[in-house]
Amino acid sequence: MKKLILLLNQGCALTWINFKSFPHRIASSSISILSIACVAAVMLAVLALTDGMVKTMARTGLDNTLLVMRSGAVSELQSVMFPVEVNILANHQQIIRDKNDRAIVSAEMFVNAEFKSKSGVNDQSLSLRGINNNTYLFRPNFKLIEGAKFKTGLRQVLVGRSIARKIPELKIGSTIILGDSSWLVSGIFSDNNSVFESELWADIGIVQSDYQRGNTVQSVRLAMHDGTNINKLNEVFEADPRLNVRIIEEKVFFAQQAQDLTRLIRWIGSPVALIMAFGALIAALNTMYAAISSRSKEIATHKTIGFTPFAISISILSEAMLLACIGGLLGVLPLYLFLNDVTAATQNANSLSQMMFNFKITPFLMAQAMLLSVSIGLIGGVLPAIKAMRLPVTLALRDN
Amino acid sequence: MMNNNIELKAINKTYQKSKNSTDNQVVVHDNFNLKINSGEFVALMGPSGMGKSTLLHLIGGLDKPTSGQVIIGGEQINNLNESQLTRWRADNIGFVFQSHHLLPVLTAQANVELPLALTHLNKSQRKHHAATALSLVSMADRAKHFPKELSGGQEQRVAIARAIVSDPKILLCDEPTGNLDRKTADEILSLLAKLNKEYGKTIVMVTHDLKAAEYASKVINLETYTYDLKAHNVQEARL
Repeated sequence: MKKLILLLNQGCALTWINFKSFPHRIASSSISILSIACVAAVMLAVLALTDGMVKTMARTGLDNTLLVMRSGAVSELQSVMFPVEVNILANHQQIIRDKNDRAIVSAEMFVNAEFKSKSGVNDQSLSLRGINNNTYLFRPNFKLIEGAKFKTGLRQVLVGRSIARKIPELKIGSTIILGDSSWLVSGIFSDNNSVFESELWADIGIVQSDYQRGNTVQSVRLAMHDGTNINKLNEVFEADPRLNVRIIEEKVFFAQQAQDLTRLIRWIGSPVALIMAFGALIAALNTMYAAISSRSKEIATHKTIGFTPFAISISILSEAMLLACIGGLLGVLPLYLFLNDVTAATQNANSLSQMMFNFKITPFLMAQAMLLSVSIGLIGGVLPAIKAMRLPVTLALRDN
Repeated sequence: MMNNNIELKAINKTYQKSKNSTDNQVVVHDNFNLKINSGEFVALMGPSGMGKSTLLHLIGGLDKPTSGQVIIGGEQINNLNESQLTRWRADNIGFVFQSHHLLPVLTAQANVELPLALTHLNKSQRKHHAATALSLVSMADRAKHFPKELSGGQEQRVAIARAIVSDPKILLCDEPTGNLDRKTADEILSLLAKLNKEYGKTIVMVTHDLKAAEYASKVINLETYTYDLKAHNVQEARL
């Protein structure tokens, strides 16, 4: 035990000396610090991006809601359903009915609406959802935060809070151009930061008419009794020759969409982060080798005095990790200061329209980026530390 | 260590010039024998390449002979492994180099305290020991100065304080006055002589300087392989 304490004392003494002299070497270490900072920033950005999207998607959809689309459709956009199918679905015994014995069903339209901004520079595709009064029953977190709901039969839209923040023109009382028609913004709603906050909601009849969809819808939401066996229900619907549908729990549907979205980011982002990490590793390795070369006499002196090679290697590793920590913090802190809680937009590949999400730089994500940085420092410091351990004292002392 | 006699017995030391060649060897010492008694101040002289520094490294356990025995205080140190040697060195040997090798980021006091990190002394004990060592080399008033704020002679004094702070029995000095002017060199050599006479340190000093060698009680010329007492009695160095 005493030996271990003595060894740690030695390591601490040398580490302290290295840290004290580190400011003199900061310029020569800047490349590796910057490389590690870039890796930490890219890593954190990828993590925050995927985390933000997953959380947004996770807040969307309900467990006891069944989403029905045309068989083969992977998104609402690809689906088309007819009123007869909606009626058949609504009459199933597993669907909850209200006090007037009407099935709780929401038939919805979902289209990409071309938003034409007044300046012409902010034109983009937005998600326009045609809904009816029942739809609000399927959005328990819906909250009208400004204005009023749209009026049935009028060309009015209710705008999600996230998209309203991104596009200032979407404010109460303003008239906006969607496709070839003018719409009045009647209100702004929130929905627990879910995907729905990226949408514009309007009367389904007007949307069907404007987008020439006749009386078809694209998706149907059904409120199910608790404990409904989805697989059995699916078998029933599949066996019905009048139906050609795909059913999925709404929560699962959005979770799958989240996977599709984040997969692409991970496939692109992770290899980029990995390649950059490798570059940073080489830079750290190089910096530490250079530090050892320039301090070979100092290391030899320590050995001569009686410091153990192990204590010397601890000090080298500590310095490499200090370097990595500085780099990691330089990468993480600016992202935290400037991007935390920022609402970002991305193209939702499934809906082909804007999806808003919160860039949340959480302590857990920062810890992951810092862990990667420190790992780079640790791995980059191992070989130089071994070299320092093996440094032949007599040669280093002779070398003038 | 019972005593601090230094004995080198039948030392052979060869270096290989190239890793890939077996016949490309440089013989530095061939069946070399030497005995330095406890409390002696010995100057090792001779032209460059005669193996003076190699001898210091062998005595200090920084290097191992190709064959032969290095016995210090009755202990054969060339059989010790690397970590045993490191420990042994910390306990028994103080080194003074031509270049002081002080750490520029530490004050004189902190530089002198450094070897005490290898001991079980607490912080205040370390400070006290370092202050004592600095007083001994007349550098107490420069304790808080950094090496760049000291003259060459002062730096070497601090290096000597660092070498003696853990109270080693043997001081190994490799051209300690090589970078100094005559007056400063004489001051340093007087200090070494004082450490030898008053504190009983066994000192082995490599030097090219005849005047420096005069401070030693014994001069060993590796070229002629003889040693020379102060009275200039020439005797065979071989035991």
